[in-house]
Amino acid sequence: MILVLAPTYGFAQREPAASPKDHPTRALTIEPGIGIHTNFGTDLLLAGLIQWNPYKRLSLASHTSFNINNLLQRDFNYIKTDYNYSFNQKFGAGTTFYSRKSTHTLLVMIGAKYTAFKETVYNPAVDKVSASISALSPDYGLMYSHKRGLKKYFFTGRLYVPLYPWPVKGSDINFVDGNINNIALEVGVGMKVK
Amino acid sequence: MKRQKLTTLTLGALVGALVLFLASCSEEEFNPSLTREFSIQSTFNGATYKIKVGLPLDYNSSGIKHSSIYVLDGEENFDFVANHCEEISDRYSVTNVVVVSIGYGNDRELDYTPTKISPTTGGGGDFLYFLENELVPRIEQEFSVDTTRNSRAILGHSYGGLFGACALAVNNQLFGNYILLSPSIWFDNEVSLLLEKEYREKNRDKPQLVFLGIGESENLGRMQAPFEAFYQTLRDNYSSISLSKNTEDDLDHMGSKNPNVIKGLTYYFKNR
Repeated sequence: MILVLAPTYGFAQREPAASPKDHPTRALTIEPGIGIHTNFGTDLLLAGLIQWNPYKRLSLASHTSFNINNLLQRDFNYIKTDYNYSFNQKFGAGTTFYSRKSTHTLLVMIGAKYTAFKETVYNPAVDKVSASISALSPDYGLMYSHKRGLKKYFFTGRLYVPLYPWPVKGSDINFVDGNINNIALEVGVGMKVK
Repeated sequence: MKRQKLTTLTLGALVGALVLFLASCSEEEFNPSLTREFSIQSTFNGATYKIKVGLPLDYNSSGIKHSSIYVLDGEENFDFVANHCEEISDRYSVTNVVVVSIGYGNDRELDYTPTKISPTTGGGGDFLYFLENELVPRIEQEFSVDTTRNSRAILGHSYGGLFGACALAVNNQLFGNYILLSPSIWFDNEVSLLLEKEYREKNRDKPQLVFLGIGESENLGRMQAPFEAFYQTLRDNYSSISLSKNTEDDLDHMGSKNPNVIKGLTYYFKNR
């Protein structure tokens, strides 16, 4: 995360800064997008970010995401995925760095994640058995949002690195596996509302 | 200039925090004075396995024959398992066990899978022969351990859990206790369920302790339903089984491993 963000921060400083009022992020923006998780890209994310910068260096945001998980392998070795989705809602605060035609926003996000999935073993040689999970969990982490364009519509790209279950459930190094698999990469088009 | 300095300081602090955090995540090494090591070559598959044996604190003084836990993926799991065996047995004031860590002699995918569905799978039978005829006899000859089936346990995660499930089915006289974490029951069209069914009549009345653990976030469409099928099969068909299952909230395949090791060992020490 640091390696990703450090050059961005430097880039933001080197480019000639435009007046913040010219930027869409100086206002209220709505940024729908689609994305994937880094678990081999098998989850489809339908996401939206609403960002409001009340001051030059203060950014507030709400991020909503509906994820259709494991989209590409719904039937494997006599195991059928009946459904598998998750819904994330997070709110965050951070800061924005302004460059000439783009902005870079770093946010600390916190919210909740609801996950539901069901699988069924239908192997004819054994009894048919289903298992389902329905779980609500905390969801917090770091988000980087890049916006490019100065007019009403602009392109946007986001990276979200989840931190939960650290440190709430402990500091087990194996937890990082789940975090890495659930890094979200999103792209979309943004719109300046106000 | 001032801003550059601030940037450097901020990044330095972040890197420092990350290093400190990662350092805090490292596992504590099991007491070296209680650890014995040797290598053993299998005549069944030709591979050489590095074995570590973790002894209880009272190993030399008690003179008793200890139970034993054979740990798969030993190079990753030995310290964690041995330390927690000591801690949990101490907490419940029960006799600690001898922990036998089995390092990698072959690729784990080869050694821990029962059938050949690719060039890198299907060595589980040879590995089980190695355990039964070479490793276990050597351990029981060289260390003060109980030699009965009920005193032996096997602990495995993922493919290691699959291997344990297959050992339960096809060679049930070797181990009496099974700690199986996120077992890959899905492997080869649930072949482990078929093996269990095939050997059920021979095994169903034998006493056994089985702990099954999984992570709630294991949602790749292959883990949960076969795990539940295996659990229900054991629950419904084995008359003398001591059976428990645990789903670790909000954790995935790797993240749930250590929490389930702790719960599995706790169940084992309280119910063996």
